Amino acid sequence: MFPTTTKFLVIDDFATMRKIIKKVLTELGYTNVEEADDGKTALPALKKAVEDGKPFQFVISDWNMPGMTGIDLLKACKADSNLKSIPFMLVTAESEQKNIVEAAKNGVSDYVVKPFNATTLKEKLERIYQKHNNQKAA
Amino acid sequence: MSAALTPINPLLDKNLINAFIDGVVKTLSLMANTNVKTMKPSVEKNFQAKGDIAGMVGMVAGPMKGTMTISYQKEAIFSILDKMLGEKHTEIDGPVADAVGELANQIYGSAKTTLNQMGFAFEMAIPTVIRGTFTISKAHNGATLVIPFELENGAKFFVEITVC
Repeated sequence: MFPTTTKFLVIDDFATMRKIIKKVLTELGYTNVEEADDGKTALPALKKAVEDGKPFQFVISDWNMPGMTGIDLLKACKADSNLKSIPFMLVTAESEQKNIVEAAKNGVSDYVVKPFNATTLKEKLERIYQKHNNQKAA
Repeated sequence: MSAALTPINPLLDKNLINAFIDGVVKTLSLMANTNVKTMKPSVEKNFQAKGDIAGMVGMVAGPMKGTMTISYQKEAIFSILDKMLGEKHTEIDGPVADAVGELANQIYGSAKTTLNQMGFAFEMAIPTVIRGTFTISKAHNGATLVIPFELENGAKFFVEITVC
């Protein structure tokens, strides 16, 4: 599993959802968690963290947000050589096939469909860890 | 594949009603560990939000337009927030309004997925939150589907759907 020092960025336009995700992460031992309220504020934060030499190591983003959506943020990250290898999880109420295919096509690490419980989020994190470790080993 | 379905009277469509009931039950059970009792749905002539705070989402599916409103008695939303976030609230404030918006988002998202799997073509929308009681006029064809829900503490909330 990811070390407990992993630096997370949680992005959602609703503070409630950020609180829920943060609560689950805290329960799993992750305390290095920062927040942004949409893709537009998250992207500069992600870039700045790289410049400061303290890059984020995991992004958890909502899909449906004003300003810049989660899928657009994912695309922007994948197009940036400094950000493209950061694991990216989409949290979404969009569980339709077309959305899942779009997210996969754009290189999402995994997605979690709302509503979800803490166990589901934990399983997804474990799956992403395995996936990224296998990629590194390959 | 045929064109998207547009029922003649969507408010009386059992699939539509059940999709919203399932959305509420699933969302509150998973996110807030809360069980709800579904009461008998009814169709009312005039729209009147029944709670102290409401989350509203515009529903668009081709030519069909409407709104889904979830309005909560304050005791209902305070109880949900306590179970969902471990937060005790006694006033309708910003954080309560935020949670009402997010719940509307999730419940609509869940119902929309079920409905679209049946052949509807609802789109996602950003919810709005309204505090206090209110009415909607000239926004629908004169009927609102009301589905009441009751929590274990007896507090109620209502899913209200208008279609035009």
